[in-house]
Formats: sequence, structure tokens, C-alpha cells
Amino acid sequence: MTEKYLEKFTTTAKRVGAVVLQLDSLQDAANYISSTTQGLTLVPETPLARRHSLRSLLQDAGVDVFDGNFREAGHFPAGGVTFCNFCMADSGTVVLESTDEDIRLATTLPEVHFIIVDPAKILVDNLAAVAPMTTMHEGSDPLFVAYITGPSRTADVERVLTIGCHGPRELHILLVNNISNDLMEN
Amino acid sequence: MSSSNDYKKTVDAAIANPKLSKALHLFGDSYLIARENAYKGLDFEEMRNELSDMKDEVRINRKQLLAEFVKNAEAAGSTVFLAKDTKEANDYVIRLAKDKGATLIAKSKSMVSEEAHFNKAVAAHGIRAAETDLGEWIVQLAGQRPSHMVMPAIHMFKEEVAELFSKESGEPISPEINTLVNHARTRLRKEYFDADIGLTGANFLVANTGGIGLVTNEGNARLCATLPKVHVVFASIHKLVRNMEDAIKITRLLPRNATGQLLTSYVTWIKGCVPTDGEQKEQHIILIDGGREALYESKTCQDALKCIQCGACANVCPVFQTVGGHVFGSIYISAIGVILTAFYEGLDKAKDITRACIGCRSCVAVCPSKIDLEEIILHLKSEVTKEYGMGVIKNVAFKAIMKNRGLFHSMVRAASKLQLPVTHKNRVPGQQRIIRHLPLHFMEKDFTEWRDLPAIAAKSFRDQFDNIPQTLFNPDYRVGFFVGCGGDFVYPEVGVALIKVLNSLNVEVVFPKGQSCCGIPALYSGDTATGIDLAKQSVEALSEEDLDYILCICPTCTMGVKRDFVDRLADHPQWAAKARALAEKTMDASAFLENILGASNKLDCVAPGESVTYHDSCHLKRGSDVWKEPRALLNSIGHEVVEMKNSDRCCGFGGTYSFLGQPQISKQITADKVDTIKTTGVKTVAMDCPGCMIMLKGAVGKADDSIRCVHTIELLAEAIDKKKKQN
Ligand code: SF4
Ligand code: SF4
Repeated sequence: MTEKYLEKFTTTAKRVGAVVLQLDSLQDAANYISSTTQGLTLVPETPLARRHSLRSLLQDAGVDVFDGNFREAGHFPAGGVTFCNFCMADSGTVVLESTDEDIRLATTLPEVHFIIVDPAKILVDNLAAVAPMTTMHEGSDPLFVAYITGPSRTADVERVLTIGCHGPRELHILLVNNISNDLMEN
Repeated sequence: MSSSNDYKKTVDAAIANPKLSKALHLFGDSYLIARENAYKGLDFEEMRNELSDMKDEVRINRKQLLAEFVKNAEAAGSTVFLAKDTKEANDYVIRLAKDKGATLIAKSKSMVSEEAHFNKAVAAHGIRAAETDLGEWIVQLAGQRPSHMVMPAIHMFKEEVAELFSKESGEPISPEINTLVNHARTRLRKEYFDADIGLTGANFLVANTGGIGLVTNEGNARLCATLPKVHVVFASIHKLVRNMEDAIKITRLLPRNATGQLLTSYVTWIKGCVPTDGEQKEQHIILIDGGREALYESKTCQDALKCIQCGACANVCPVFQTVGGHVFGSIYISAIGVILTAFYEGLDKAKDITRACIGCRSCVAVCPSKIDLEEIILHLKSEVTKEYGMGVIKNVAFKAIMKNRGLFHSMVRAASKLQLPVTHKNRVPGQQRIIRHLPLHFMEKDFTEWRDLPAIAAKSFRDQFDNIPQTLFNPDYRVGFFVGCGGDFVYPEVGVALIKVLNSLNVEVVFPKGQSCCGIPALYSGDTATGIDLAKQSVEALSEEDLDYILCICPTCTMGVKRDFVDRLADHPQWAAKARALAEKTMDASAFLENILGASNKLDCVAPGESVTYHDSCHLKRGSDVWKEPRALLNSIGHEVVEMKNSDRCCGFGGTYSFLGQPQISKQITADKVDTIKTTGVKTVAMDCPGCMIMLKGAVGKADDSIRCVHTIELLAEAIDKKKKQN
């Protein structure tokens, strides 16, 4: 859990087609999101989102934050904004516990997924993820965890890599310090 | 019989359409590069050993692990159903759908659902299964089955896809890949929203959590598991792993090996009934045996269940690249497909594709689970032969002739006298010993149409050996020479060259005359009885004298001694120890020269300064891991080794394969090799295998007779001669 993996993470995530940006504050992140997306944006209420007042921050920055049942935001909402649990530097992967259905809808349906990452949450590799993954799986509560590495892709037509198959066409990783260093919360 | 004829027709049809083969070759090439990059900094061998051990553990403890998985999944709210076969699994889903009044199932990829012919089964009850994986959807629209496990529609071109999409949607869709993918994105999104049930497969069933893992790129599995209120997991029991750590370790291998990705876009871990639209989701996990328990019990084939379905064994297989997965496979394709077809669909269904394997071991080299696919296929070949026979030609050849050493050898001698040499116009002198008609009259006609065939040498090596003087007074080593059929009857000059090279390094060569054919041709044709007989003959002969090493100039013979003799004689108490002792000291001549004698520092010959390209023989590189050695030797005598593309790709020989079994497939594979050789512009191709020499001398000769094909040992001997002349 150190920023020393930041550089590696940035390189590998970019290599798989993610946009990676280092920003100074959540306010900057909100402004960036507002300038990048137009249309309905799904912002699930998670512990971190509540603590950092993410929804109002985005709303104030001009983002069209969707209110209501996410299933009714249409087949292709414009954006989704979430935090994350942790990342893995070796493959450029973001890990997001998504048991709450709103998180799943906000990360699968939209055209663009913005994910806010505290660099303190970057692990060296996917072997280092074994411990937090095991912890998450303890007990018998239902659980849904997503590893996300770049945007959705396919090579099913003539083996040509094509971005944006069934998931988000774009993945924007916004690096902001001092969000949380607890791997169990998002 | 008719099915074999049908099979031949499909092979011919595939070969008549080179567009597919070309695409698969391009894919195979780029795959290898991507894969290599993905493993940079990691130790593939170590990783796959670990995976293989992990899977052994799972096999041994599968009953407990399954019980543990069920207990944990149920604790998290899942309903688990154990289906003994695919029909039970289908019936379960049909019942469930009827209970729910469900008419639409949004489905992401599940190979076992292909095995179950799931879509058809549910359609019969008025339930529509909508494939949402792009490749699967294309294949579904075309009314076909997948031709690759990872890329189901790899056999299709964008124009065909556009036609299918246009027809389905009733509007014209242009054949641009982006447009096609976009169309699928929009069109299929509706299915997830409308579906009553979402069905996914599972890459992992994690015993100690009761959860599943899904490894995907497109994102459709996440949608299938999220939007519909009911989630059905359709998975086979061999996807069990012990814990999260094992599963994560597999995610390090699977994407790297499948597509050269460090990780797929999505890896999704789901445990139990997660919330959905204000309620709890209903999750049903159907665990399907479908013949796997029986496969686990098969000592010779059980390793096939270590498969993590990466598809790599297809990507590198020359037979797959030539005819595609619809011909070389059934539900599962290529190497693993041969084995699973035999087990899940029956030997009859598998017999033609079993024989279609050329035995090059490329699949074994890339398999992340370290499955010796080729060895299992070899075993199946013998089962196929037991059940269906070998065909008359091989029956006479192997059973009646090869088993009887005296008869075999005298027939070959007779053949050498009877054959009619046909001198090619334009043929360089010294390379004229090539004929257009096969000497061995037990072979079929028409083999010479696309490549020349070698003549049987006027005098076999065994008939020359006694007259070769060896004047060494105090040799460092005495080595036995296991000459092999190619070296004995077709290219005896290689053995003569070997004696020259070894003598110059103070090594004496002994030729035990009782030796026979290594038996691999018989074995590859599934004739185990003859194989055992031949093994005994040679083990006896080669163990007679106390020799320091046994050397081969044919890597298939080396593999025969090291692997097949040991295996075949393992249950024969008076032979097993002898075979093992022999295996210990047997190696290829190049390996001995370099690794035991350090010859590249001793040969000290004149630099001929010639450019040579090197062809890696399948069994040398992947059977014995020898490939640096011949290059070091060639460099040491002053040759510059210019690498050809894919130097370790099969030449198409495969022993009797190219003559009797699958000449059409063989021909295509050879044509590829000849092209890559010509592209180097180099005029000498070195190799360490008489089988490859037969194939390449013939085929290269037809294509460009200024190119010379030669055994590495011959080039060494020539360098020694040159030096002698200069002194
Ligand atoms: S041994 Fe060679 S031909 Fe046979 S399945 Fe493996 S890769 Fe294909
Ligand atoms: S047999 Fe090995 S190489 Fe082939 S698909 Fe299975 S894991 Fe991959």
C-alpha cells in the first residue's frame, strides 16, 4: 500500500486503453467529469461517496446526476462514477466490491466509467490481492467483486481488437490523494 | 466408415478454401508474440508446474472440495443442483423457467452449455436462449457451432458477419468491424433488460468461499449476472479450485495464455444471492458431471481435466491452422478437443480427429496446465486402432513386416534394388538420389505429386558399419548408435558423418546390430502390440554391451527410447529397469556433442563462412528441449545461423502421417515451411532429424532446387574434412 506502484499502475492501465489522470482534489475530479460527459450519470451511494459528498460535488460541478432507480436510467446512461477498493499495479486493474446493485449498474451500463482511485490503494500485483480478496470473502454474506482492467473489448470479429463491446467504452481513472486507504471500503 | 469419408470431405473442403487457413496462420503468429510479451519477467514453467500440482490436488480431493463448495454456496443463499449429465442440467433449467414463466434467457459463454446443446433443448420448450457473447451470437445466427474455445467465430469474415446481422435486423449493416460491434452492443443490450433469467458459465468454483469466478472481456457476463432477477450458473465440476489464492493464480495464466493479455477486461467474483432491484436475487448453480468423473478415473487421460480452456493448444497447432476448428474438433477443438470428444461424445466421433494429430507437441509446449496432450492422444490412437483397426496398409506394414526385424530389413534391401531412380533434370549432382515412385509397395500411390520422395539407400547403414574403420586407441567414451529407420535406410551418410565427427573428438561408436525400428510409427498409428515388441528388441540390443551413452540422430527415436520404451515396458518386470537405465543415457547426437563433450569449443574447424538457416524438429525442441546445441555447433564451425520465422513449427512430416494418414493436411503444413525457408534467402537448411529431411528435401527440392537440406552432423563432418584438406 504505497505510492511507489503508482508509476507502474499508470503505465499498465494506459496500455490497456484506460485514461489515467492525476488530479489535486475531488473538486478537480468533479470538474473533469463534468467537462467530459454529457447526459445522465449514475453515482451510487457508497460509504466513501457519502463521506466525501460525491453526489452533491458532482451536481454542483454541473454533472447530470441521476436520481431514482438506476434500472430506469435507460439502456445507455452517459456516465457512471465510483470509488474503488484497491488496484493492482502489474496489470493496471481496479477492484471494486459491487454487491450493492447500484454499483454494478453504474459500472456496466454507462458509456463512460469514471473511477476515483487513491494511490495509497495500489497493490504491487494480483498476488498481493489474495489477502484482501480472502478477507472480503469471509463469512457467508452474498458478495460481488469486480476486477476491471481497461474498457470493454472484443476480438471476436476477425480477431481485431475492438473497444466497447458490452461494457463501458471508456474507463477514466482519476487519481486523487487522501480519499481512503482502507481496502475494504469503496 | 461413412463418417470417415465425410471427414475426408471436410478436410478437402477446408483445404480448398485457403482464406481461413491464412487467417489462422496470421493469428497464430501474432498470438505467439503477444503471449511472449505477456509472460515477460515471469517463469512460465514454474507457474504451470504449480497449476498442474494444484489440479492434481483437486482431482484427488474432489469429493470433499465439491461438498465444501456446495455447503458454502448454500450458506450464501445459492441453490445448488448436481447434474449427472447435460440432459439433467438442461431439464433443471427448463423446469425453473417454466416455474418462473420465463421465456427469455440472456446467456453469456459456457462451454458446457455447448456440450449440452442447451439452446436447442430449451427452444423445444418455447424458451429462447439469447447468446450475448459477440462470437457466440454470430455463430448462433449462422446456425453453426464455435470453431475455437476463446474466439468462437474465428472462422468467419466480417462480410459474412455483416450479412448475418443485416438479415437478423432487417436493415443493411456495413461490414466494418466497429459498426458490427456497435450493432451488437445496441441490439443485445435489450436482451439483458428483457430476460427473465441470466445464465453464465464459471471459470472457477471456489470451494472455500462457495463463490464463482468469471474471466471475460466483453462485459456481457456481468450484465447477464446483474440485470435479470434470476442467475443460473451452468458449470462443469472440474472448475473446482480450493480457494481464492488458487483462483487468482489461474487468472495470472489464463489471459496471458489465451490472448496475451495480462488480465482480461473483467474478472468477476460472485458469491450467493446478491441484491437485485430491492430484492434478493435467486441464484441456481448447476454443477455438471457429464462424463468428467469417468475421465478423472482414467489413469491415462485424467490430466485432460486440468484444462483451463485457454485455447492455446489450438492457436499453435499446425493441423488447426490448416483446416480450422470445425474440422479438427467437435464441441471442443484441437488437442484438448480430440481428448474430450473421445470421452464426452464417444470414440467413434473422435476417431478421425485423433488420427489427424501429427504429433508435433506444439500444444504440449504452450499448455498452462502442463497437460501432455500429445501423449494422451497417442494413447487414444491405440484405442481407436483397437476398436476400428488401422486400415489394411498399416496393418501389413506394421504387424506383418516391421515386427519381424529380419523380414523388415530384407524387404527394405529388396526394395532398394527394385526401385527405379528417376533423375530430375536440373537436379544438382549428389542430390539425384530422389525418386518419383515409392519403393515400399505397401504404400499408396500418388504421394509424389507435390514432393519428391527419397530413395532407399543402395546400402543401409547397418550394411556399411563394419567397413568403417575406427582407429582410436584409448577413446574417452564408447557410445552406442541407435540409428533409426531414416538414418539406416534413407540417409546412412548421416551415421557415417557421425562416426567421423565423434572419432575426431576421440569417441568410439558401437553399432548394436540387434536394434530395430523405434516403433513410434506403429505407436502413432495406434498399434501398441507392435510397439511393445519393437521396444523389447531394441532395449535388448542396446543394453547388450556396457556403453557410456546411446546416441540418436533422429529425435523421434530419442523420444522413443526415453519416453515410449519406458512407458511401454513399465508393466513388464524383466524389462522395466532395463528400459529406464537405457533412457537415462540416451540423447541426441547434437546434445551429446555440445553438452557432454563441449564440442563447440573443441571442433576448431575452418570457417566455411556460409549462411545456414536452422529448422527445429518438433521432437528435438519439444521432446528433448534441444535447440541451442545445434546452433552452437553450427556457429562454432563458422556458419552464420540466420533464423527463419517460426523455426520450430512442424514441417508436416509426422512419420506415416504424411504418407498414409493425412497427406492433404501434411502438404499444407509443409508448404508453409518451404515458404519460410525461401524467405530467408539462405541456401542451406540444417536440421537434426531424418524425418524432416525426407519431408523438406522433397518439398524444398520441388520448390527451389538450389536450396540444400542437410543434417547438422553432416555439416560438422564436412567442416572436419575441409580442415583435413587444408592441413
Ligand atoms: S501434437 Fe501437434 S498436431 Fe497434435 S494436437 Fe498437438 S499441436 Fe496439434
Ligand atoms: S489443454 Fe491446455 S492449452 Fe489446451 S485449452 Fe486446455 S489449458 Fe489451454
